[in-house]
Amino acid sequence: MGGECCPPQQWRRRPRAGASSRSRFRQRRCPRPRWRRPAAARGAGGRRAGPGMGNALGPAAPRAPRRGEPLGSPGSFDELHRQCKEVFPQQMEGVKLIVTKTLSSHFQVTHTVHMSTLGPSSYHFNATFVGDRQLGPTEAFPTLIGDMDNSGSLNAQVLHLVAERIRTKAVFQTHQTKFVTWQFDGEYRGDDCTATLTLGNPDLLGESVILVAHFLQSITSRLVLGGEMVYHRRPGEEGAILTLAGKYTALKWVATLNVGYGGAHASYYHRANEQVQVGVELEANTRLQDTTFAFGYQLNLPQANMVFRGLLDSNWSVGGVLEKKLPPLPVTLALGAFLNHWKNRFHCGFSVIVG
Amino acid sequence: MPSWVSYQFQPAPAICLSSLGVFSVAAAGGPGAAPQGLRGWLRRAYRFATDRNDFRRNLLVNLGLFAAGVWVARNLTDIDLMAPQPVP
Repeated sequence: MGGECCPPQQWRRRPRAGASSRSRFRQRRCPRPRWRRPAAARGAGGRRAGPGMGNALGPAAPRAPRRGEPLGSPGSFDELHRQCKEVFPQQMEGVKLIVTKTLSSHFQVTHTVHMSTLGPSSYHFNATFVGDRQLGPTEAFPTLIGDMDNSGSLNAQVLHLVAERIRTKAVFQTHQTKFVTWQFDGEYRGDDCTATLTLGNPDLLGESVILVAHFLQSITSRLVLGGEMVYHRRPGEEGAILTLAGKYTALKWVATLNVGYGGAHASYYHRANEQVQVGVELEANTRLQDTTFAFGYQLNLPQANMVFRGLLDSNWSVGGVLEKKLPPLPVTLALGAFLNHWKNRFHCGFSVIVG
Repeated sequence: MPSWVSYQFQPAPAICLSSLGVFSVAAAGGPGAAPQGLRGWLRRAYRFATDRNDFRRNLLVNLGLFAAGVWVARNLTDIDLMAPQPVP
């Protein structure tokens, strides 16, 4: 029986009251318990191989890893404030018709007609191709997205998974025939950290480039710290801006803060219950000498197939968007209205989304 | 209009670089100096609080609004929208 774990009561330093000297002697001679691998894990070459070598309670459970709980990937730097921003309603004006058609499990097209009251009306054609490699419900690779409007302006994105932890993205934007933006991203996603490098509008002939580096590290399972460095260069001018970021995720709320030389951005997201979500945001821009505060809320009523988002901000603007699904039709109706009390401006709109 | 223009009514000559930075103090001494100083301080505090063009004032106001918004989010939003209406 040597090598088996002794029952815990035999390892008491002080004998129990009334215990005989013989029991004390038994304690001293009891060998130290030794950790042993379970019989199934020892294999044929183990010294203690053979049946019936487990303790009376059955085979020992495998040891838990000595490290703490897994930290989790912190995600992308651009998505630090995403949960709070999704609560706020999107500005709506005019009439918009969006028709989405899924042609296959990989291919989807969307037609958007927008009749605007503030500017020229437009038509957009969007095509999306999604590959076979799916990492999550909203992540699949490769992904190709193209959007073109009636004036010939193009917005294209290509997302590709080069390796298991390395992702790349390319973005191109044109205004009619002229390229406005060309951007290349490379991202490394580790188990508890994310590093991203972005090249914005690199121009070898014009010797200009914008370089953006992001890094996020999960300190604990709830705390993420990181930073962003933006370096820009063009003939006769160059500069860099450093921004520090932190995010704390609790069970029902998330607080995020970005602080840098150019300003600060703080957001607080709170999920009160299954129906109510609230977002609070503060932005301060030292270059423009401007600060704004916004309070938004989202009400979900799946029983009524309805979602309502409301907004109140420091520019004396209030607004709301109501989205209602119309089952059994695959149609969603959205009504929105925004009023700026200070500038005495009001605009409203509605959209119909099919598919 | 720059924020220092609002300080033209100060009794003593003053150069105000920012809202709560360098500001003037009544030069004359005597029993009337303390009320004048207090009145001047209150006047400057009122103008700081109502000057919408001042960056630090707007930052303080929005910070207070942010704190109030967080308090409302944490304490006043636990509402059950589908709860039955109370019977009168």
